[in-house]
Amino acid sequence: MLQPLRETCRRLLQDGTVQVVIGYGQAVRAVEPYPVFITDPDDVGQLVWNEQCRTNLVKYLLRKEIRVLGKPAIVVKGCDERAIVVLEQESQIDRSQIVVIGVACDGMAEPRCEVCDAHQPRFADHTIGHATNVAQPAERRYAALCEFLEQPPSDRMAYWKAELERCVKCYACRQACPLCYCERCIVEKNRPTCLDTSATLKGNFAWHIVRAFHLASRCVGCDQCSRVCPEGIDLRLVNLSMARASEASFGHRSGTDPQAELVLGNYSQQDQEHFIR
Amino acid sequence: MSQVISKPAIRRLVERWLRQGKRVIAPVQVRPNLVSYQPVRSSDQFLLEGFVRPLNSIKQVVFPRHEQLFQYRVRGKQIDLLPAPLPDIERIVLAARPCDAVALPILDHVFNWEFRDAAYNRRRELTTVVTLACMEHDAHCFCTSVGSGPDDTRGTDALLFDLGDQTLEVRCVTDKGQSLFAGQTEASTRTAAAGPGPERRADLGRISEQLEQAFERSEWAAWTNRCLGCGACAYGCPACHCFDMVDEGGPTCGARVRNWDACQLGQFTLHASGHNPRSVQSQRQRQRIYHKFHVYPKKFGELLCTGCGNCTRNCPVSLGVLPVLEAMQAEEAK
Repeated sequence: MLQPLRETCRRLLQDGTVQVVIGYGQAVRAVEPYPVFITDPDDVGQLVWNEQCRTNLVKYLLRKEIRVLGKPAIVVKGCDERAIVVLEQESQIDRSQIVVIGVACDGMAEPRCEVCDAHQPRFADHTIGHATNVAQPAERRYAALCEFLEQPPSDRMAYWKAELERCVKCYACRQACPLCYCERCIVEKNRPTCLDTSATLKGNFAWHIVRAFHLASRCVGCDQCSRVCPEGIDLRLVNLSMARASEASFGHRSGTDPQAELVLGNYSQQDQEHFIR
Repeated sequence: MSQVISKPAIRRLVERWLRQGKRVIAPVQVRPNLVSYQPVRSSDQFLLEGFVRPLNSIKQVVFPRHEQLFQYRVRGKQIDLLPAPLPDIERIVLAARPCDAVALPILDHVFNWEFRDAAYNRRRELTTVVTLACMEHDAHCFCTSVGSGPDDTRGTDALLFDLGDQTLEVRCVTDKGQSLFAGQTEASTRTAAAGPGPERRADLGRISEQLEQAFERSEWAAWTNRCLGCGACAYGCPACHCFDMVDEGGPTCGARVRNWDACQLGQFTLHASGHNPRSVQSQRQRQRIYHKFHVYPKKFGELLCTGCGNCTRNCPVSLGVLPVLEAMQAEEAK
């Protein structure tokens, strides 16, 4: 897998198709692979691929520090590429100016990978390898949420209070999210203030609920937010809840169909308006 | 002769401190892979072994992530300002790592510099810090590179060493530590030593001078451009202490509050005019390195880093100060 990946990247850089490859690299002493930005074809040896390549690199397509490096090629897994689909649907990227290198993935040793059905990239320009994993049945996708919802509401509230009590508002969830791309986040608006910036229980509930609203029907379930949270807050449960509602009410699974109409991003005269008084 | 205490005895002590209305903060296993300093409610809730270091820090005990400075009330033309009462609850930090405690005397400089911060100093007086010497370290630890080590006693009131068989050696460092353990320990002939600590990862002897020359280097972007611009490094850091002050409330009543802030967030230096003097992430990363290894030592004579490694541990993309310093020094060595 690694050799064809490096060769593809070398070729793309060498023939000038792209100026930078956004991929995974690893220093000798580093515990995990981390994002690297390769601009010299002779440096493709820095690229790695292993089951620690968890990070969703798609956020870097939006960061101005990386945009200045030129036309990018990006290494994605089947789950990550969904974010590219949504970014294109929401007119945040020009897909023709990005080369997507999909790498088949048999799971990243994470709980979510047990229910993943996107092992094989579908929309990449170049695909490396074939996943051997079998997609899990759809009902398993929401198993973690269903299990959580079996608890009485008071227990669930107690759970979220204990979790959000630890939130320090470092905004790693937002910064790592490929779909949190607002130039000025609502929590940073201060004329007037929309949300408490304080990391109190009230401020933390407000922040995570508003962020969930803004990602409803858009979140692709890459779980980057849960993964990067230094306090281990399992935002995956929130994401699953939104994804299930989107699928149940609108038949929409974010990022799985480039031709699909967006739930919140499209207007139709047939939209039900009975809830507007 | 040394002084020892059994682990069950220390748990009984915690029980007593809690009954006395004291606040006890100690490492708690929040998830299988997550240990965090948290207020404990019972004596069986915290760890005395089996962890390298918590992912947050004990600075929250003296410098909370959110605190009220005063409340305001507007009645007609009258405006009442009600200062927040000074803290008065005694706190005991138990089984903290030395790389956390070392930060406290470092923080004392800035909180007593041009302005003496009353709430901070009050909390410092009310806090007793009991550290637990490190027997192990992980790939992110680099305390030995900043002149510290696994049994550093700076900022510590009493230092514990694990003797195995459920027994801890107690070495009281200050009067506070003495009075906390007075009559609670037994004399013993056994004595312990900390683990070897991490090998030195960077030579920081001349770091301030090196940085003096490095400000304009073009490589800052290459060293740091994977940074996503969150505050996970700063908020998990025992020594980072930047804050923001905001008014929360409405036109008739509310409060002025102080919240943690982080230099990697894009809005940190954003001016009201819209100009941002640190407009790209490499400038923000450079600032973080400069503050810790150049500005603070120049002003106060100490690095603003204890080598705990939390910045890298907490970083979504494994950055943090050591990888940047290593990249910089590797470049210099070329």
